[in-house]
Amino acid sequence: MGLLSGSASFVRFVVEGEMPDRFWDFVADRVAANSFQDIDDSLDEYSIGWVSVANMFDAEFAYSSYAAGDYVVLTMRVDERKVSPAVLKKCVMKEEERIRQEKQLPRLSRAVRLEIKERVRAELVRKSVPVPATYDLCWNLSDNTLLFFSTSKKAMALLEELFSDTFDMTLVPQIPWFSAIRVLDGEDAEQRLEELRPAILI
Amino acid sequence: MDLVDLIQEKRFIGQEFLAWLWYKSEERGGSVEVEGLGDVLVVFEKHMLLEYGEGEASEKVICRGLQTELKEARAGLGLGKKPEQARLRLARGDYEFGVTLTATLFEFRNVRLPKTVAAADEGTDPDSIEGQILERIALFEELTGLVGELFRMFITIRASDQWPDELLRIRAWVGEVEE
Repeated sequence: MGLLSGSASFVRFVVEGEMPDRFWDFVADRVAANSFQDIDDSLDEYSIGWVSVANMFDAEFAYSSYAAGDYVVLTMRVDERKVSPAVLKKCVMKEEERIRQEKQLPRLSRAVRLEIKERVRAELVRKSVPVPATYDLCWNLSDNTLLFFSTSKKAMALLEELFSDTFDMTLVPQIPWFSAIRVLDGEDAEQRLEELRPAILI
Repeated sequence: MDLVDLIQEKRFIGQEFLAWLWYKSEERGGSVEVEGLGDVLVVFEKHMLLEYGEGEASEKVICRGLQTELKEARAGLGLGKKPEQARLRLARGDYEFGVTLTATLFEFRNVRLPKTVAAADEGTDPDSIEGQILERIALFEELTGLVGELFRMFITIRASDQWPDELLRIRAWVGEVEE
């Protein structure tokens, strides 16, 4: 849900950094270098990268380009193999009991229990199917603003990192303070804003 | 100052913007005149979250209802609370938007765009997809533009010598509900 369909939630950023010459060649290189790599058939636990906004399986942008008019449109895809804490706890308890009986021990040492927990977790992670999450963005090149279609703090932190790794540019969230600095005219604008204190409305 | 501290210290700007916008929308029966854009319909509806105080001492009040006049929320303002989230209906010309705006982070949540051609009626080839994307982006930017212009109006007054008079009018409006 987001850019293409349905109800959407988003936050705004300003993109800061130098725009390279031959911009679209630069984008093509960087997006390809940071495109999403599937981990369904590997043992990796985590993968993050760019896919097409039209299709989360399209990391080569065959169905829809990342270029739309004066905008760059991308979807950040994050796949992660997760194990629910309850499942982990259950399997660890079962395995501890099995080993305790096998070795006929009254109780297991802390080191053994830690080793069991780590081994069981690794097995469960390997068996689990990666859980996908996708987040759309559109980057307006004419005014260097970016809409990111999620309000999750975790997703925003991931975006800021992936965007910076990909384009060597920084995203500044447009909280009211930064918006105020951006829209207020005059040389002393920032000074006037700095002097503002909360008002009492009653 | 790091971003987290800055957000916390300056959150009053967004909260006062929502309070001012609410006052402004009721001043002329739901319509706000924006320089360069003309009249913009601004209606506060259904849902509002107000806050009072900070940190552990903070209190939150959620007011919601389908046909509410947000009387409880107005009373909350009268007790010194400030709006942290509000559901707005914004319209200009033929376009009408719904959005829940948050004050501290300026998030646009649960955005409802004006009805246009349904995506199912359009093709799935790359050109059609690009057309759909550009149309949706244009609508999102129309909305952010409207909110941006309203915010520009607010912050221009807020950081000028017009603010004391505006604040007196807001206080008078907040006081009306208690009478």
